[in-house]
Amino acid sequence: MASSSFAAASHLLYPAALVGSSFAPRRGRPAAAVPALRRCRRRAARASAAAELNASAGAAAAAVEGGREFDFKGYMVARAAAVNRALDAAVPVAYPERVHEAMRYSLLGGGKRVRPVLCLAACELVGGREPLALPPACAVEMIHTMSLIHDDLPCMDDDDLRRGQPTCHVVYGEPLAVLAGDALLALAFRHLADPSSYPSDDLHPPAPRLLRAVAELARCIGAEGLVAGQAVDLESTGLADPVSLDRLEYIHLHKTASLLEASVVLGAIVGGGSDDQVERLRRYARCIGLLFQVVDDILDVTKSSQELGKTAGKDLASDKSTYPKLLGLDKSRQFAEQLLCDAKDQIAAFDPAKAAPLLHLANYIAYRQK
Amino acid sequence: MAFSALFLSPRVSVPKFSPSHLPNPKPHHLAFSIRCSSSSSSSSAAAASFDLRSYWTGLISEIEAELEAAIPVRYPEWIYEAMRHAVLSGGAKRASPVMCVAACELLGAPRAAAFPTAAALEMAHAASLVHDDLPCMDAAPLRRGRPSTPALFGVSTAVLAGDALFPLGFAHVIARTPPALVPRPALLRVLAEIARAVGSTGMAAGQFLDLSGAAAGGEAEVLLVLEKKFGEMAECSAVCGGLLGGADEDDAAALRRYGRAVGVLYQLVDDVLMEDEEGVGSNGRSPGKMRSNASAVRALGIDRALEIVEELKDKAKSELRRFDDKCGERVLPLYSFVDYAVHRGFLVAGAGAGAGGNEV
Repeated sequence: MASSSFAAASHLLYPAALVGSSFAPRRGRPAAAVPALRRCRRRAARASAAAELNASAGAAAAAVEGGREFDFKGYMVARAAAVNRALDAAVPVAYPERVHEAMRYSLLGGGKRVRPVLCLAACELVGGREPLALPPACAVEMIHTMSLIHDDLPCMDDDDLRRGQPTCHVVYGEPLAVLAGDALLALAFRHLADPSSYPSDDLHPPAPRLLRAVAELARCIGAEGLVAGQAVDLESTGLADPVSLDRLEYIHLHKTASLLEASVVLGAIVGGGSDDQVERLRRYARCIGLLFQVVDDILDVTKSSQELGKTAGKDLASDKSTYPKLLGLDKSRQFAEQLLCDAKDQIAAFDPAKAAPLLHLANYIAYRQK
Repeated sequence: MAFSALFLSPRVSVPKFSPSHLPNPKPHHLAFSIRCSSSSSSSSAAAASFDLRSYWTGLISEIEAELEAAIPVRYPEWIYEAMRHAVLSGGAKRASPVMCVAACELLGAPRAAAFPTAAALEMAHAASLVHDDLPCMDAAPLRRGRPSTPALFGVSTAVLAGDALFPLGFAHVIARTPPALVPRPALLRVLAEIARAVGSTGMAAGQFLDLSGAAAGGEAEVLLVLEKKFGEMAECSAVCGGLLGGADEDDAAALRRYGRAVGVLYQLVDDVLMEDEEGVGSNGRSPGKMRSNASAVRALGIDRALEIVEELKDKAKSELRRFDDKCGERVLPLYSFVDYAVHRGFLVAGAGAGAGGNEV
């Protein structure tokens, strides 16, 4: 039933060319995703008849899955604090001070640190020591921040506020905002590639792994990844006709999922994960990236501005294409259910205790109320 | 003049050169009384017979081919087209890549080891130029005599193209550097070097200091802007080439100091020539548009500027002495870069050179 409307999703989510890394070409593994998908769809079909995505169902699922109590909130708070300390140390105020202040203003201005936490969790999941993943965790957050700084520029989205604070170019001026973004982009790679960023001389990933991580980050954020998503998104806004489902998915998979993919893949690589583990986590990230956007679109039409803490119905009022507009609300919910299920399938083979953070992150994204 | 043979050498005829520039290069060194070092060693005397122009132009065509292959056109095409325009639109001297290849060859390694990194250096450089041309920065409608990337593709595409060039260069280095020629740890160091050179204490710092008017300050400030904006990149090119060629720590450190001196030297001489020709630079740059917001020469005074030119020239050459015996003739390209930076015996430009390159 549901599968026909999800056809676009499945071929974009699991194209062979996108799943393999340049280092470990996948040999026939993309096919392995398909049985999981089918199994998931049957389960999703049963589930969607019984329960709708709502807060209580989410809470119940979160408590039961994983087989034990897991303090998700405590986990997130502790990891975010560790990441914040590492970011603070990674960008000292050096000469010229104003450039570094602008970088720090945007980088340390708060946020949930979802990407770095994904990176740390993926590293632990494959058996790596968590401190090993702090440099890549910082790198993905630097890239995320840099993309927000450039995105907020008057020539792009032209936003004056981000998380309730004036944006970088409002505080420091446009030229410095461009430079601070560029400097964060460079620093992300330097921090990731430099063995001295890691806990100690004898505890850093071997050079081939670090090179593989650098190549993954480069691919995920460049013209094949994040930049492609931003470019197609910019080109698609303000069009009279709604964009196709294919294009909407392309935008979200590149603009949002790419950097989530980099986060878990980098964590798994520095943690010493096998190719198979890396690919499972890659698919997990692509699912939750898309899931995030589908849920965003659903919340925009179902919640009030007060509940969301931002203007509701904005997508409807503007010409922005959304899943509810293209699929309808019911099918959008089914799609979200399927994506959540797919994401969980990818981490089902891991030790449940170690997989708990990623499981709860997926639930958190699916069942959030704003 | 020991170096006249360098720029008057009629040995090569490269169709890529704009013919009007070729026959009689203006002998700038006469007009400016930039003194030729009288203490030429045997190596720098030999450098006079080294044909830098054919070495350079030969490398340019290989570097262009590397860049051409490194930036394909895929969906979304307009981003790739903007990236290609920024990197491949012609007129670039490819000085960073040439320096990188020469430093790699100095140590006896095949140049194939250095080409992917040479391309990445040029992409990182192009990325900074694209952002430099944005309306909120220098607002330059032209670059090398052609429409700048923001002017041709729009501001938002230009921002994104710049953001995409940097990672593409990194991916290219990792995917294309032959593993048999370069050990993986050396490659990692090369990537960290490039990231450092363009980052918050390198080129980005130089851009910021320039924008904030530091170049109008005292001698230390003026030289710092030149070091950050131009010295860092040349230093990075030389040290990356050395690392790719298997340099030990001492050799790498010497190449680092050499590259930095040559980068600053080139810009300072450029400023001297621009001052003298009332805004028309050594490479036919149009008046009024300079890569630095303030002229170093105006701040330093012409006499002091010429003194510093001499000091930098001696400094750069003295860093090369250690290679004289062990590297033989392979050190000649590096000596001749120093002389070229001072004397500009010929015009270097890639395909379709109109106005000359606007940067090292």
